Order: sequence, then structure tokens, then C-alpha cells
Amino acid sequence: MTAVISSTDVCRFFGDEEATLVKAVDHVSIEIERGEFTAIVGPSGSGKTTLLHLIGGLDNPTSGAVHLSGTNIAEMTGTALSDFRRDHIGFIFQAYNLIPVFSAEENIEYIMLLQGVDAAERKRRVAAMLAQVGLEGLGDRRPNKLSGGQQQRVAIARAMVSHPEIILADEPTANLDSKTGIALLDLMKELNEKHNMTFVFSTHDEKIMKRASRLIHMLDGKIDLDESK
Amino acid sequence: MQTASLAFRNLFRNTRRTVLTVMLIGFSLTALIAFDGVMRGMITLMVDNITGTLTGEAQIHRAGYRENLDVDLYIDDAGEIEDRLQQDSSLRAFAPRVISGAMISSSYNVGAGIVYGIDAELEQGISKVRDAVVDGEYLSGGESELLIGLSMAELLEVGLGDRIVLTLSEVDDGELAQALFRVSGIVEFGLRELDENFAFINIASARQVLGMTDQQAHEFALNFITPLTMTNTDSALLEELNGEEIEALNWLELNPDISLILELSRYSSLMIGAVLFLLASLGVINSMFMSIYERIYEFGVIKAIGTRPRDIRKLILYEAFFIALISCGMGLLLGAAIGAYTSSSGIAFGEMEFSGIALNNAIFSEFHPIQFTQFPVYVVLLTVVAAIYPARFAARIIPSEALQRSL
Repeated sequence: MTAVISSTDVCRFFGDEEATLVKAVDHVSIEIERGEFTAIVGPSGSGKTTLLHLIGGLDNPTSGAVHLSGTNIAEMTGTALSDFRRDHIGFIFQAYNLIPVFSAEENIEYIMLLQGVDAAERKRRVAAMLAQVGLEGLGDRRPNKLSGGQQQRVAIARAMVSHPEIILADEPTANLDSKTGIALLDLMKELNEKHNMTFVFSTHDEKIMKRASRLIHMLDGKIDLDESK
Repeated sequence: MQTASLAFRNLFRNTRRTVLTVMLIGFSLTALIAFDGVMRGMITLMVDNITGTLTGEAQIHRAGYRENLDVDLYIDDAGEIEDRLQQDSSLRAFAPRVISGAMISSSYNVGAGIVYGIDAELEQGISKVRDAVVDGEYLSGGESELLIGLSMAELLEVGLGDRIVLTLSEVDDGELAQALFRVSGIVEFGLRELDENFAFINIASARQVLGMTDQQAHEFALNFITPLTMTNTDSALLEELNGEEIEALNWLELNPDISLILELSRYSSLMIGAVLFLLASLGVINSMFMSIYERIYEFGVIKAIGTRPRDIRKLILYEAFFIALISCGMGLLLGAAIGAYTSSSGIAFGEMEFSGIALNNAIFSEFHPIQFTQFPVYVVLLTVVAAIYPARFAARIIPSEALQRSL
């Protein structure tokens, strides 16, 4: 197995003075292999979201290295980092993560426009993704005309449509009712198994923990426990 | 294209703010168009009053005459100049004048003034003396006819038919000469200087009293077929006539102080425009920042999924561009409507005198192509320039901070 994500001694500290220094992520080293369905879990303030942001190149570490598919993204900035995220990582956030003035189709299509995918291919992939996430016939609806669950399905479709190697999901079920949350997780698990796509969650949702193949427990910015099922 | 489409749709997310911003910019453009139209109308009125009241668009004198209005510095070969003027196709009208300072006496009082000897017929093509008659009759060529300013008539306590004695110095020898006239008309120009100090008699009578021949005159006033405006004062005729003996000057050269005032008036639109658009630009910056702060989570998301900083900058600049376009549409329509109204109905300020120039008519706003071409271009450019700062701010948003801040 190859490590698609690898963090080496990565730290993210906030504040300058020792008295007020917050060690959100403190010397964390992990390796996540292709096709894993991993959940980073822990109480609020444990550093799980910060670690997810560091893995996703949304934040730069104070020290240490983060390798994604062999590239150290901790050294990347600006346009290069934007392009790397666009081409290699799919993101799913909590609710309200769609562009409200775009329809579901346009939201899914947006990332392919950034990639310069031609119109016919975009159309084909959007239709396929809508079918995969069970939103056929709802592509022309704007987010405010979709339920919370349907919006997250669109977000999943957007995250997957560019065929990224990794999908990072930050509390994707936090704003959903239990039934919708389970349906979405089953969908993501199915996509993970079907496409061998790597999923990393930041969560304290029991439903995700139950489905995850690996749980990384965080406490006070450090890995407290790393267990594979 | 997607960025432009997203930017355009974003305008309707907070319609109230967009409408307020559009109104701020649009009304600024409207105000600028209206102000520029009124300023242009005022300048036209001022120029008309300067050239149309008495001065004419140009004058010919003997060199040195204008320095102290010395009656001895008359044009000796006025007949020759008159022939030349009659042949010139660029002229609409000209009129010879004889001018002298005089003591003007009635049975009740005495005052000092300036007496113009005018050709009653030719003068109508130059000045407003005939139109200024408020009582009695305009000159008909009679020997003892005299028109007197309203204020001077009040000072001298005279009315129509009353006797006036003019005492003046004859040309060349300086001998005092007196002549008796009867008030045939009272004139009112609405300009203090003219109404208090001026009297008009027939040019033949003036020449006779001053001891001048009918080939002599102090001044020729000229009006051209293509009027000499502020921006068009070139005349081949004036150039040709100018020489060692003769001085031929356009109205701007005759009134250098007024020329400066008019020049300042022209630039006032620019100054008002600068102030208006500085304020509007601050409004745009404020509005854009509010819009960015409202969408900070969304910027975090779209940056996270791979939108480049320059695409975010483009998005904000497009939004500003579309706001500017809509504002221009509104501003131009309103500006045209206000301009159309004020150019047909005029704006009556009552009688007023501005730096010696009478503004006793309504000011009619004037359209000019730059109001509908250059002004909107400035608006679009300034709005987009004002949006650069917010756009740079949005482009530098750090996704992890944006995503956490609004959660």
C-alpha cells in the first residue's frame, strides 16, 4: 500500500508569546493510504479540524511537512497551492458550502471550469455525478430550493467530479438529521469502495466513527490513539 | 465567462445594498451631468451677455485707445475700414461708434457718464440697446434724440421729453462743447454699470458735437456669422486688421478678467465631479467590503476547492463593473431627463450680476456629448479602481480562517 497522505512532525501553533501560545496541532505524524475511510475524532478544540486543514493545504503548518501524493504542500503558496487543491483534493464542509446563486449543476460544474475541462465533458460528468448521488432531475435547482441532505449530496458530487485522489470532509453530517446523515455516509462509503477514493473525516459523529476503517483520536493537538478496524 | 456570470448574479443576493450602491453612483453621475449642463448653459448665457449686451464679439480701435479712452485716439480712416468690413463674408454685423466721457446735466441734477454715438440701424445687429428700451422709443436718427440709463435718469430726475445737456471735449483741440438733447427713451440693461453711467445718441450728432468727420470713429463692434466662442476665437479678419495703428481684438482679449472667470467656471465641473466621485468611490469600497464580509465563508469554500486568488480578484472587479454599468444606465437616463427639462424650461435665478456680467435671463442647461460618453467611462473606471482594494482583500482571504470565522 502507498501513503497518499503523509504528515511528518507537523505543528500548527497560534500566538507568539509562550503564555498565550496555542498548540492546535503538536508534532503530528500520520500516514493515510489510498482507499482508506479514515475519521479524525476527538473533543472540540482537540485539533482535528486544524489537522484536516493542514492536510488539505487550507493552512500552512508552523513546522513539519505534509506530503500529498509525494508533494510537500507545506512549501506551496498562492496559485500553485490553489491549483494543487483543485486537481488533487475534494472538500466537503458543513452546510452552506454551495454557491447560492448557482444551480446544483453549476455548482458541480464550477470546479471543472477552473480546471478548463471542455463543455461536453463537463456536461457528461455533471449528469453522471447527479445520477450517482441520487439527484437526477434536480440539477437546475438552486441550493435554497434543496433540502440540507440534497445540498450535501451536491457538495459530495462537486468534491468528486474532478476525480481527486483525496476527499476531506469536515463535519459533513453536523447539520443533518440522523436519517439523512446515514444515507449520505452510506453513499460516501459506497463511492469509496467503488472508486477506491481516500476519505478523511474530521468529526465527532458516532455514525461516521462506526463506518470508518480507521480512527485517529486527537487530544490537545496530539494523536492520542490510532486504531484500524 | 463563469466568473462574469457569477459576479452578475451576486449583485442580486443583497438587492437592497446593490440598489443603494447603484443609486449612490448613479445619482453622482446624474448630478455631474446636470451640473455640467447648467455650467455650460451659464457660460453660454454669460458669453451671450458679454458679447450681446454692448461689446460685440470683437472690436476695432485705434492702437492705445483702450488704455484711457482718449477721445483724440480715433480711427481716422473709418470709411476705409467700413468698406473692408462690408466686403468680409465672415461678418454677420458691424457698427461704428463714437465714444466720449461727458458731463450730463438736467434741470435738476448733474452727473458724469459715457456717451455712445451709435448708428441706430447697424447697432441693432450688435448690441441690445434697442431691446433695453423700457420707456419711450429707440433712436430713429433724429438730431436731439438721447437714450439714457434708468438709474441715471432717476439721478437726474428726468423722464421722456425732458432736456439733457451734454458737455464734452472736442477732439484734437480739447475745447468744451455743449449740446442740447431730449430724452427719447429710457434703457435698462440690468447691469449697474450701464444703467448708471451710459447715454446713447445718434452717431452723426456725436460726431458733430465732438468735431469729428463722418469718416472718423472711436470703435467698430463686430459680430460674426460663426460666433466667436470661448473655444473658437480665431478670426482671419481680426488678424488682418491688427497692425501698428489699428488694434482688432476678440471679446476674450477685451475682457481678460472675464476670460479667467469663464475658464474657472469650465473647470468647476471637473472639481465637482472629483468630489462627487471621491464620495461615491468611498461608498463603493464600503459596499464591496460589506459584501465580502457577508460572504467570507463562501470565499473560504471557493478558495478551498481551488479558485485562484486572481479569479477572486476578477470576481469582485466584475461585480464593481456591473454595478458601474447599471449605475451609468440609471445616471444617464436621469441626467438626460433633468437636462431635457432644464434645457427647455430653464432655471430662473432672478436678476443677478456675476463679476460685472449680467445674468438676468433663465439659464438653459446644455447637453454635450462628453456628458454621455466620457462621464460614464470615468464612472466605470473609478468604480472599478475603487474596487481594487476590496478585491485584493478578498483574494488574500485564508481559507482556513474564513471557514472557521463564520462557523
